[in-house]
Amino acid sequence: MPALILTLLKLIFVALLFLFVWQISRAITGHLGIGVNRVPTRRSKELVLIRGDDVSGERFKVEDVLVLGRSPQADIVINDPYASEFHMRFVSGDEGLVLHDLGSTNGTYVNGRRVTAPQVLVKGDAVQVGKTVLEVR
Amino acid sequence: MSRSAEAAFLLGASSLASFGVAMANLAGGGGIDAQVALTFLVFLIAFGSLHLALRQWAPRANLFLLPLVAVLTAVGLTMVYRLDPGRAGLQRWWLLIAAGLAVGILFAVRSTGLEPLRRYRYLLLLGALVLLLLPLLPTDWSIPLRGKTVNGSRLWIEFVAGPIGIQFQPGEIAKLLLVVFLASYLAERHAVLASGTRTIGRLRLVEPRQLVPILVAWTASFGVLIYQRDLGASLLLFAVFLTLLYMSTGRAAYLLIGTGMFTVGAFVAWQAFSHVERRVIAWLRPFSDFDGAGYQIAQGLFAMGSGSLAGSGVGLGRPELIPFAQTDFLFAAIGEELGLAGAVVVLCAYALLAAVGFGIAIRSRDMFRKLLAAGLTFVLGLQTFLIIGGVVRILPLTGITLPFMSYGGSSLVSNMVLIAVLARLSHEEPA
Repeated sequence: MPALILTLLKLIFVALLFLFVWQISRAITGHLGIGVNRVPTRRSKELVLIRGDDVSGERFKVEDVLVLGRSPQADIVINDPYASEFHMRFVSGDEGLVLHDLGSTNGTYVNGRRVTAPQVLVKGDAVQVGKTVLEVR
Repeated sequence: MSRSAEAAFLLGASSLASFGVAMANLAGGGGIDAQVALTFLVFLIAFGSLHLALRQWAPRANLFLLPLVAVLTAVGLTMVYRLDPGRAGLQRWWLLIAAGLAVGILFAVRSTGLEPLRRYRYLLLLGALVLLLLPLLPTDWSIPLRGKTVNGSRLWIEFVAGPIGIQFQPGEIAKLLLVVFLASYLAERHAVLASGTRTIGRLRLVEPRQLVPILVAWTASFGVLIYQRDLGASLLLFAVFLTLLYMSTGRAAYLLIGTGMFTVGAFVAWQAFSHVERRVIAWLRPFSDFDGAGYQIAQGLFAMGSGSLAGSGVGLGRPELIPFAQTDFLFAAIGEELGLAGAVVVLCAYALLAAVGFGIAIRSRDMFRKLLAAGLTFVLGLQTFLIIGGVVRILPLTGITLPFMSYGGSSLVSNMVLIAVLARLSHEEPA
């Protein structure tokens, strides 16, 4: 077999391998979530548990309403002795993400200040209940 | 991308495998013979049945796993065929067995999901230990299941049925069971392990009692190193444990402590054990003992160097000069005959496979599934890194196979099972 043909075949083989992997890598970006969030979302809707007795780093998406508290019926159940059964409510609406304290015993703090009325949250705000801290993403 | 596109990719990979075999034939003066057709057929049956199994029992499974595995297997089989056509024939049988087992697993968990894996974790741990000890069965007794020593390592069992003797490394499967156990254990315990309260400045310290599991893992992995003389398995065991501990608790302190303990252990092992010392010297100065300990690494370097950018072409280099080219040093053979280009494309495929696996872990719905997906992906990625790193001399050489590519039934079977579990995990993702 002439060496030229073999060289040609080898180059075709490697080129086909590249084509194969390239095609897959193009399709994969969607799977990894790259390019999905290209459009900047104006409003933050996501909460991340920064510190708590349970899972740190757990994310919660506020689609409509989320209630946080010690009760097993709450949407976000936290195991924190300072939290009330139903401690606070996150509402995602036209104004953005709004925090309502549900008359909790020990209060809710946003960036270190106690919440006295419903408060609009922005990205980066730290919401604290007892030892538990959530961050708005 | 759709399931049909997956099928097209699998067809493409099957064609590439037979293309590779045909090239090796042509270079050796042969022609397009039955081997080419047989390779195509075996790939089609193996990956086709896996594809159908996914359609049937895990229709929401990730679409990229099988194509990536198929293309790696295709390049691997090409190189194994080129080095040793007889072994490539055996490897084709192993591919069929591996695919069959993966299909069997998808079928077995079609309605229960992976929940039983979580529930029966101690049974699985026991299974892993039994598998690890199986090679210690006597080599000469009359029962058709015997221990076997290959290349000085007592890691094998031999199953004899009449004229057929099948050799298998049960440790490969034990590795997977261990990951399942760790994922299940840590999914339950991670909160306790992350709840240390002592702080010094900004650094959160770990309670002493939380160090117990890490000590156990450290002892076990160095036990493997000392008594089984298996550097690769030892490293893999410890690294997987440490990573899963870190992933589940988010505590960098575990990584720091673990790395520190590993460094100390590695240093002591290097000073105290001659077989570790030999490995290190062969790694740092392969040419100082060219005819001895450094021979394999040096030959591998020569092979990759002579391969240059585009390689010599399949069947036109001399990768058979490298000892164990079809298993440990397959990557060097690829570097020689397909060049840097071929080596890079193989690395890309592994990187994408790891990305897919971690993507599955990120989107899994609970801690157990997250840790399982991440742990399995990590095992696959770390094996690849360890052996390629050993071949290109950024790490001391560890005798680990290159997943999906090296000749070896146990490795192919266990990695295919791993892919089946990952596929099932991706099927169970919340929509």
